[in-house]
Amino acid sequence: MFRNILVPTDGSARSRRAIGRAVRLAKEQKARVTGLWVAPVWQPNLYAYDESVPAGFISPRQFAANTRKIAARQLGAVRKAAAAARVPCRTVSAQSNFPHLEIIKAARRNRCDLIVMASHGRRGISRMLLGSQTSMVLAHATVPVMVCR
Amino acid sequence: MFRNILVPTDGSPLSRRAIQQAVRFAKEQKARVTGLYVAPPYKPGVIEDASMLNFVTPRQYEESVSATARKYLKVIETAAAAAGVPCQTLHTLSDYPYDEIVRTARRRKCDLIHMASHGRRGISRLLLGSQTAKVLALSTIPVIVCR
Repeated sequence: MFRNILVPTDGSARSRRAIGRAVRLAKEQKARVTGLWVAPVWQPNLYAYDESVPAGFISPRQFAANTRKIAARQLGAVRKAAAAARVPCRTVSAQSNFPHLEIIKAARRNRCDLIVMASHGRRGISRMLLGSQTSMVLAHATVPVMVCR
Repeated sequence: MFRNILVPTDGSPLSRRAIQQAVRFAKEQKARVTGLYVAPPYKPGVIEDASMLNFVTPRQYEESVSATARKYLKVIETAAAAAGVPCQTLHTLSDYPYDEIVRTARRRKCDLIHMASHGRRGISRLLLGSQTAKVLALSTIPVIVCR
């Protein structure tokens, strides 16, 4: 029924569990998995108004390098799980302050027919009934969404 | 991966779509389907004057609910039978469908809930239907939300 399962991840434990489920399901469905990680956009930290560079300053170049490293790690987790289950896997990363938009876009661009994601993410404030990004994805998705916890 | 899929319905067109999808999925998973309809409980009307024209007795209400439940759950039974998927259906009374949904999933040992994003009151300005939102918040098993 599902051919291509999109698995957004943010590196949280819940995300990892969602990856596990997605891969298992993909294996049963003889489907492929598309992993996605969304990096935040570079923000300059302007602590000082004088000419000196603030202590916490990270240049765009440095930020891009860090992002690439983290992407490799996050998406590596998806690739590893998929490889272990012999499930075809593709990974993509994006950069945005609105991960839910990138998730919807990625589902469309990669022609995914199911999104499997955790109920909450890194900021998993469990008093929140449902994570902010998961809520927004559910609101706008045009394909079914499996929410795992 | 899933053995017993709970499919709540409120008879709405979106529910019907969810049912079709859920049954297809169940067939592939070689799972069974548990259909559920939740009706509001009996509430005697408060009557000021002596006219009892619209008064419904508890028995009449029960019969009316059973008839509605049969109609809505038949959609699930028919789809499941056509696909060769084992199916059980039930209806309960509650003012809180989301609560019954989560409770029934636990009682019947379902391992997945497959439901529509919105229900009968499908107010599309609501990003997500009220019952679906609450089921997502309270469920300890995965939930597939479809539209």
